[in-house]
Amino acid sequence: MALPQPLRTSVSPQELELIASEQLVEILPLITMEKTAFISGAYGPLRPPAKCRIPLWMAVNLKVKKKCHIIPPDWLNVEFLQERLSRETSYPEFSQMPFRFAEIAKAILDAAPDDVQNAEKVRSLLKDLREARQAKSREGLAKLDHSELSLPNLCSMEINELRPFFIHAMGVLTQLSREEQNGAAEEP
Amino acid sequence: MDNDYFSIDAILAENQKIQCTFKVDVPEVGHLGGGNDRDIKAPAKLPIPMWLAYIILLSEWADLTIPAPFGPRVRNALKADPRSVRLSALVGAGGLWYGFGKMIMDILDDEQANIMSDVLTKAFRGRLTEVIDQAQHFATLGTLGVAGSAVDAAQSFREGLDGTERELFALAQESSKRTKRWYENHDKARQGTRR
Repeated sequence: MALPQPLRTSVSPQELELIASEQLVEILPLITMEKTAFISGAYGPLRPPAKCRIPLWMAVNLKVKKKCHIIPPDWLNVEFLQERLSRETSYPEFSQMPFRFAEIAKAILDAAPDDVQNAEKVRSLLKDLREARQAKSREGLAKLDHSELSLPNLCSMEINELRPFFIHAMGVLTQLSREEQNGAAEEP
Repeated sequence: MDNDYFSIDAILAENQKIQCTFKVDVPEVGHLGGGNDRDIKAPAKLPIPMWLAYIILLSEWADLTIPAPFGPRVRNALKADPRSVRLSALVGAGGLWYGFGKMIMDILDDEQANIMSDVLTKAFRGRLTEVIDQAQHFATLGTLGVAGSAVDAAQSFREGLDGTERELFALAQESSKRTKRWYENHDKARQGTRR
């Protein structure tokens, strides 16, 4: 199968968003719905005003049609993100963030900015967080070695962005430093 | 850049010539030197392409001198500041300095090869950060640069990239561009049908 070159080495961001959309979020439904079977599982019943957990793709879909309110997950608010940002800037390691936070945050902020408190501030905090982590991954690059590189707590989008470059660079380094095992047999 | 028979990178890297000093007389192959001689007399120095040099050295007909792109001048320049050396000037645009170096390294004996490997890896690592910085910066601008004097240093670095580094640059730029585009895309049209 002929994939275009960029897709051969990594996944596209839209695909990651799709995968992240499987995660369950809480909503406040505005309509009633019986327990319905979908391919990934059965969700519902939706009985306003009781909260319900459904997958993100469904929540976004309902929200766009104005049939629910999305309740942001516990980490998507100003206090939590602020605390993580200050931790990110004070320590050299990456701070713990939910693995797919970038995709989930973007989906919710795009579809339901009115459901998130202080959406603008949250957006700017997320951007700062992303830039701080990018700076750290650049420093990590300087320590690139042909055998291993461990960057704990990196999240899905960040890994995807760095993957093709890092793998190729490590491959080159492996070939350049393969000397130790190889050793030429001929020549004085 | 590997020893794969079919690797295009390896074939291109092998096309560089190296100086060999012949130790024995070899009749009837004087045309290798490009001159009019019929024979090669020892000690004659001839530039031989890598793919041929391998066998000649293996059969102990000649000795190898480390070619100019890896000579002491280049090594000192790399030690001083790896990012200021223009690798593409040493092997021609589109050439593979690292690939070439690796082939030489395979032929040399252990001690010299260790030194070569050290030089190559340090140079690669030193330039790598600069490559990714520029790639991410240019993710938004595409391949056209912006005019400005501060950009000239960056531009001359980009022109001095060797083939392997160019591939890495393209990879990093491509993935940065896609991620950035995704972050800035706030199009809600695909999120649900409108009824």
